[in-house]
Amino acid sequence: MARLELDRLSKRYGDFHAARDVSLDVAEGEFLVLLGPSGCGKTTTLRMIAGFVEPTAGTVKIGGRDVTTLPPWKRNTGLVFQNYALFPHLTVGQNVAFGLEMRKVAKAEADAKVLDALKLVQLDHLIDRLPRQLSGGQQQRVALARALAFRPDVLLLDEPLSNLDAKLRHDVRVEIRSLQQRLGITTVMVTHDQEEALTMADRLVVMRDGAVRQIGSQKDLYERPADHFVADFVGRSSFLSGTMAGDAEMKTAGGLTVRCAKSLSGPAVMALRPERVYVGREPISGQDNTFPGEVEFVSYLGSLIDIHVRLSPQDRVIAQVPNHDSAALPAVGDTVHVGWAATPAVFPADSDMRA
Amino acid sequence: MAAVTAEGPRGGRLVLSATSLIGPATVVVALGVIGPLLILFRYSLNDFDPRMLMIDALTPKNYIEFFTDPYFLAVFFVTVRVALMTTVICLILGFPLAYVLARTQTRFKNLLLIAVVVPLFVGNAVRAAGWMTLFGSRGFLSMTLMDLGITTEPTEIMFTETAVIIGIIAVNLPYMVLTLQSVLEGINRNLEEAAFSLGAAPLTMVRRVLWPMALPGIAAGGILTFILAMNAYATPVLLGGPEFRMMAPVIYSQFQLNNWPSAAAVAFVLMGTTLLLTIAASVATRQRFRD
Ligand SMILES: Nc1ncnc2c1ncn2[C@@H]1O[C@H](COP(=O)(O)OP(=O)(O)OP(=O)(O)O)[C@@H](O)[C@H]1O
Ligand SMILES: [Mg+2]
Repeated sequence: MARLELDRLSKRYGDFHAARDVSLDVAEGEFLVLLGPSGCGKTTTLRMIAGFVEPTAGTVKIGGRDVTTLPPWKRNTGLVFQNYALFPHLTVGQNVAFGLEMRKVAKAEADAKVLDALKLVQLDHLIDRLPRQLSGGQQQRVALARALAFRPDVLLLDEPLSNLDAKLRHDVRVEIRSLQQRLGITTVMVTHDQEEALTMADRLVVMRDGAVRQIGSQKDLYERPADHFVADFVGRSSFLSGTMAGDAEMKTAGGLTVRCAKSLSGPAVMALRPERVYVGREPISGQDNTFPGEVEFVSYLGSLIDIHVRLSPQDRVIAQVPNHDSAALPAVGDTVHVGWAATPAVFPADSDMRA
Repeated sequence: MAAVTAEGPRGGRLVLSATSLIGPATVVVALGVIGPLLILFRYSLNDFDPRMLMIDALTPKNYIEFFTDPYFLAVFFVTVRVALMTTVICLILGFPLAYVLARTQTRFKNLLLIAVVVPLFVGNAVRAAGWMTLFGSRGFLSMTLMDLGITTEPTEIMFTETAVIIGIIAVNLPYMVLTLQSVLEGINRNLEEAAFSLGAAPLTMVRRVLWPMALPGIAAGGILTFILAMNAYATPVLLGGPEFRMMAPVIYSQFQLNNWPSAAAVAFVLMGTTLLLTIAASVATRQRFRD
């Protein structure tokens, strides 16, 4: 249990930056999730913390101590692998005892700690089984117990749930989170599953191309995305692209003038959360923006309905409305009005993002 | 495996096709190996007279002679000792090499593999001839040691047990390395990393994870090189010289004296010892693996 600090941590393979200037400050007991598309450097960052990848530049501090040059076995981090990596020739109990044994904990004390750790994951009755005699979910929990038994300073999880089926993933997710909170253990988890990230994290780190794009709470990322990429990656948005025209106004590609809550200049992109876009038969009153458009597509999700509305040949927005009365829903081809409040989610156009 | 374990309606057909697949090999083994062995075993129970040669009998005399005659006993112990030593040294030298081979992912891997396999293309006799130029008192090694001032007298390695041991190691090492490599390759790298992250330093990791997990392969490689060393012929003859005796050359020299019963008995002692120690090794490793 300790604070974890990464300072401009970078890893280069030849000319390729697997991680660049990653700086993070994880508080004691905090659950931080690294989120991002495949290949963005999440695993690389995690493995630099664990000591398996030597950083090209930057430092790693655990509990205030610089561990950048320490080998993995001197770092006191608990690591849980995607494929669990339980020792197949050792029983569940021996697996969990491994870290304690390496720390020369006396036998009686170690036995008690092993049992404690297995009780935490409710598998104490399987202590004498071999890993191959366990289900995937059980193996996963043994791996967790093994990583926790010796009370590491930092717990590191690399996509720990991706080999479990959907139902189990939900259960284990809750289990890991409550365990982590109970033990107050500083944790960094890697995932590319957004829902997993949002439900488990105290704070999230969105990465792309090796770099941190935004760090913040679920609400920060959703309400105040830092850039086009984050707005697109976290949650769902529809985008309008155009050029800033004067103070807090954007001229869209299709010629609409849209009011926003931020001043920029030059080419820009606006992100609209579908549930913040209102649809009606009349112009929407009380909203900063209201435009007529034609319903292009209706997607029936059950309790919610997505309505895709084309405002101009170049501009389209998605509105999400509750399914209160299916008879009153607009149909494809109907003319409707959409409206939304001026949003601060306007970003300079990102050259490598499609609007 | 599949053919043996498959169950259900197709089971019968599979067993049948399995029989037809292993059938021919079984016939060859039966005719080519078991037949001659039976004949040889019968010979080993015969009597021998230098003038009348082999005499029909049913006597354990040849076996008793082997285990009482100091000459044969010395041959026996030298053979077992050389085989054990070469096996242990092959294991010690082979394990790190096999590990590097198993974990190398770059294009050097094939180069390394070729370097390990190429010696197998050179016959034992040719290789031993090469060693002779190296080991002799006027050989490369001796001269170099003197040139460097490490020794003043010529070093005679040629025609010693050391020369034979080095020679056999050179022959057997590739077999050990290739066997270990395939086993180590099957051990997921994550397991090593898991051990490291739990606090195990590299040697501890090897002892607690790699070694026990590779034990079946270590046993296989050890048994293979042990059998090869027990039965070594060309290397002890060429590098050991006339005074040095291991069992396989002794069998041949008994044949040359036309003493077929004695040669057959020595052959069976060699086979029996090899088999016994092999079984002991696999039983020992299997138990170790269980607990
Ligand atoms: N040893 C290596 N040599 C060269 N490039 C590497 C190496 N390891 C990783 N990379 C590259 O670094 C980038 C980041 O890899 P990393 O494994 O950190 O991605 P990730 O975010 O964990 O992705 P995923 O979600 O698919 O697991 C990738 O483009 C990868 O190809
Ligand atoms: Mg990864």
